[in-house]
This record gives sequence, C-alpha cells and structure tokens, in this order.
Amino acid sequence: MPSVEPRVITRLGSHAEKEYVEKTGRLLDGLIIGANLVESTPGATGSLIVKLGGDTTSLRYYVDPMTYAFGLYVDPDTGRLRSDLDWIKSEQKVSRKSKQVIRNYKKSYRALAEQYGPPFDTALGRGMAVTWEDLKDDAKAVAACSSVVNYQLQRIKDEFSADPEFAAYAAYVPKPASVFAPYFYIDPRNAAHWEPLVLRLARMTVELKLGVPVHAVICVDESFLADDGFVKRLIEGLPGTGVDGVWLWFSKLKEDEAPEKKLRNLRAIAEALSEKMEVYNMHGGFFSLALCKFGLSGISHGVGYGEQKDVVPVIGQSTPTVRYYLPAAYKRFGVPEIERAFAGLGIRTVADFQREVCSCVVCQGIVSTDLAAFQSFGELRLSTPKSKRLAQTPAAAKRCRYHFLLNRIRERDWLKKASVTDIRKAMQAALPTWGVQPSIQDQIHHLRVWAAVLQ
Amino acid sequence: MKRFKREAALLPPVAGYAKRKAFFMQEAELPFYEYRIDLYCFSPAKDITAAFELKLTKWRRALKQALLYQLCADHVYIALPRKVLRGVDTGLLAKHGIGLLAVGSSGRCEQIIEPLTSRLVLPHYRAGFIEVLKETRHALR
Repeated sequence: MPSVEPRVITRLGSHAEKEYVEKTGRLLDGLIIGANLVESTPGATGSLIVKLGGDTTSLRYYVDPMTYAFGLYVDPDTGRLRSDLDWIKSEQKVSRKSKQVIRNYKKSYRALAEQYGPPFDTALGRGMAVTWEDLKDDAKAVAACSSVVNYQLQRIKDEFSADPEFAAYAAYVPKPASVFAPYFYIDPRNAAHWEPLVLRLARMTVELKLGVPVHAVICVDESFLADDGFVKRLIEGLPGTGVDGVWLWFSKLKEDEAPEKKLRNLRAIAEALSEKMEVYNMHGGFFSLALCKFGLSGISHGVGYGEQKDVVPVIGQSTPTVRYYLPAAYKRFGVPEIERAFAGLGIRTVADFQREVCSCVVCQGIVSTDLAAFQSFGELRLSTPKSKRLAQTPAAAKRCRYHFLLNRIRERDWLKKASVTDIRKAMQAALPTWGVQPSIQDQIHHLRVWAAVLQ
Repeated sequence: MKRFKREAALLPPVAGYAKRKAFFMQEAELPFYEYRIDLYCFSPAKDITAAFELKLTKWRRALKQALLYQLCADHVYIALPRKVLRGVDTGLLAKHGIGLLAVGSSGRCEQIIEPLTSRLVLPHYRAGFIEVLKETRHALR
C-alpha cells in the first residue's frame, strides 16, 4: 500500500475565480482548466498559465479536454440518455440589436469542436452526439486522440504565437503536467460500448508516444462504485493501456453521503491502481485526500465548491450559497447551523472560536473581536432591487472560499505527516462534540463511515 | 370544516393566535440566512419575540428549522394541522424547548406544548428583527 504526499489541484471554473488561484497558487499543487474555458478566453487563460506556471512559481497545470461534452448525457428531468447535444447549447441572440433568440451551441464548445476536428465537429454538424461507432475505426480514433492531446499541448502556445505583439511569450508557455486522453461519460446503460472504448482511446493516446505523461479520465455514474464487477474490470483493464495516471470522476458522488460500500470500492481502486499509476479523484473532498494513505495521488476541486460534480451541468438555478467549511467535520454548513452549536460547545469568546472552529487567517481577521462577526460568512442581500429572494453577498462568498482553500491546504499538509490512526482519530474527534449538537448531528454521520473505511 | 392544502393556509389562523397573545407586530416570510421564517412576531408589551414554522406534515423538517430560529426568537413554535399531530415526537420538541401549536380545521389554534424561552438567542439577530418589524409596522390582519 503506497502512501503518497497528496496533491490539491484547483479547478478554475471561470475567470472570475482567477484571484483565488493567483493568491493561493503558490500553496497549491496544480491548476486544472477546462478546454471550454480556454476556448472562451484563450488570451486570459494563457496569461494566467504563464504567470502561474512560469519559472518563478512553476505551478503544474492541466487542460481538461472536456470531450465528454460531445457525447451522450442523462436528462436530469427524465433520466433518459440524450444524444441531442442540448446540454452544450444556450439561448443566443440572433444579432446584437435583435431581440430574437435561438438555441444554439455555446461558442466555446463550437470553437473547441473546430479545434478537435472529427468526430467532434461532425457531431455538432449533424446535431447528434459522438457515438462509439464514430470511433470504431482505428485510424479515426487515433486521429481524434492525436488532435485532443495536441490541443492540450499547443493551444495556449498557438494563442501567443498568433499575436505578433505576444509571440515572444510562446516560449514561456510551460507544458501541461500531463495530457488527458479523450474520454466520455459512461452510463450503466451503455457501459458495454463506452467502457472498452474509453480504455482503447487511452491506449491509443499512450501509443502516440508524446513524451508527456498520459492520463485517462474514467467518468462514470456514481452507481458504478457499488458494482464490484466494474471495480474489478477497471483494476485489471486500466494498467494494460499503459497510462501514467487516471482521474476518477464518479458523477454525483457525494463523499459525505455515500454508503460505506462505495467508499470501500473507491479505496480499493486507489489502492490497486496506485501501484501502477498516479490516481486522482477529479472532484474529491477530504475523504479522497485522506486516501493518499492508500495510494491516491491527489484531488481536484473548485475554489468554493465542486468536491462533487454531476456530469450534467446545473442550468437555470440561482447561484448556490457558498457555505462555511467546518474543519472539524470536513464539510460545509450554513452559518446558523454552526452558530446554533456554539452554546452547546461552550464557544463564548473569540478565543473559544479560534480553538474550536477555525483559526485560519481569514477567520482570525473576521472573528477578531466579536463572536457575532461570524455571521458575515453568511451575509445576504437582495441581488437586484427587484429580487424577491436574498442571495449571499459576494464578499461573504469570498470569505467562505478563502477560508475553505486555506483549510484544504492545511489539511493536505497535515495529511503528509499524519498516520491512518491519526486521521481516523481526527475524524472521530468531532462525533462527541459537534456530533451531538442538534443542528449538526444528522449531517455528521459520514465521519463514522469514513473512519470505518480507512480502518 | 377546512382542509389545509397549502402551508400558507395555516398562516392566518396562526397569525390570529399570535395576535391574541399580544404579538401585534408581525412579519411573514422573514429571511434568516437560507431560510424564511413563516411568521416572526414581537410583543412590545411583553418584550418577547416569537417565530412560527408552519408545516402541513413534515414536522421533523420543521424542527430542524425551529432549532435554528432559537438563535433569533425567544419563543419558537411549530404549527401543524391538528390531524397530523399523532406522529409528532412531542418529547423531542419539549426537550429542545420548541412549542407546538395545533391548527384545527375550523382555524382554531391550541397550544399543545409551551415553548421554553430560548437561551440561545443572539442579541444582534433579535434586535435586528425587531427593528425590521418596527420599520415595516406590518400587522397581518
């Protein structure tokens, strides 16, 4: 069982999140950027990569090729598989002055498909997702692998080269730490086709012999974690592709709600595969990070949330509130849930707060003289004068995000030194304290499960 | 005889009950973080605040919210239609000091459990809400 020093890799969801990465970048282990974001803002993304990945900071970075977006997806309302690519469409104005809107592919995905070429651009052209039949032919599949990895290696460089003013900077663009083979979402209903195809694409990408580590992404429904057959197939089949690493993405898996069986299988995958390659959880939280003791190399997540992710993006809902990350429970809670526990835990002063809740620099700054200041992590306002619902203020969301990131970095550093016994002890420590508080107790069961799985 | 089909139908009888108990200053749907307090009231004469969580059936969910409202109201009640009371763990409510109000089909309210004065009230929330009530001077009729 190889124990490794875990990596925390932040996922940049949009350029609005750039400031978090810039400020905490030197403490993080890497940055992952979706290719759709690269396509929507190639210049800004390139500058950020040069800034953070250049000589002074050398933050490793990855470009997620997002190829799954061109495949089948599950309709969140009906649960049916859809091949209409509607999930990468949006309402768009016909022209700037016109009020008429049409539903069309998002510009970023259209541009990405053009960059990738077949079968991605042909899928958009015909209005139907990439199928396994599109990649049945070896020559076509190899060409697709080649263009997807070349994109990851070249796109940012090309952006600089294309502009005479910035062409000189092309030489400073670092290489990504590894490249991802094309991957697609695997649903239990089509696993027989897609599972072998994803592994075949990974093998073909390795065979391109690019001189950069090749990683595979296994993007499956979370129910696969309860399927011992799948776990066995993955453990046996993936090493044969020759990839240097794998990023696991169990869509919708919530570590804090998952049953023991699924988490045990996650541990089993990490343990078995890490003997042959690097293993990452693409959208993981503290539990996954703790699996470093069983070989997991690291996790990636967004700056404020994203420790779990559904393959199908959430559309048409208001911006979620960034809740306060309670370090003792390795989970987020609302401000009142935490405040409700203060009395029961004897938290009456700022010193008590810093001892029992958090003493990161953000919390020290906010809860510096008055315990009541804790409420500013949950500050609300009407986002527009016409709004009926209150929304979290941007300042409150920012406080929660920085507090979370600093705690995540602290957790990673602690895990490097901690033993499995220490980790289990830390998980169980909150049970007799936070775990008996009425506002928290029914949301803290995961600590018991996690400790059992790590045993 | 009336069947409560929507939570909002419980509001007028509960607001009337609160008024009879001298909670003249009232505000419905008062935001408290991610929640909305169905009815928040203040009795200037008694200098007591009260929060009411209305639910048609899911009393456990109501309890969850009620526990949080103890941060901002002296008295916290859960109000339920009388006919769903049988499944409620009154011992649990009493243990946490949450009051229980039964709303009859005629609209008549009866206090089944008397709330205990919350010792968890945070002065800044309470004072802030009283201020809101004073500003709006809104009494539900």
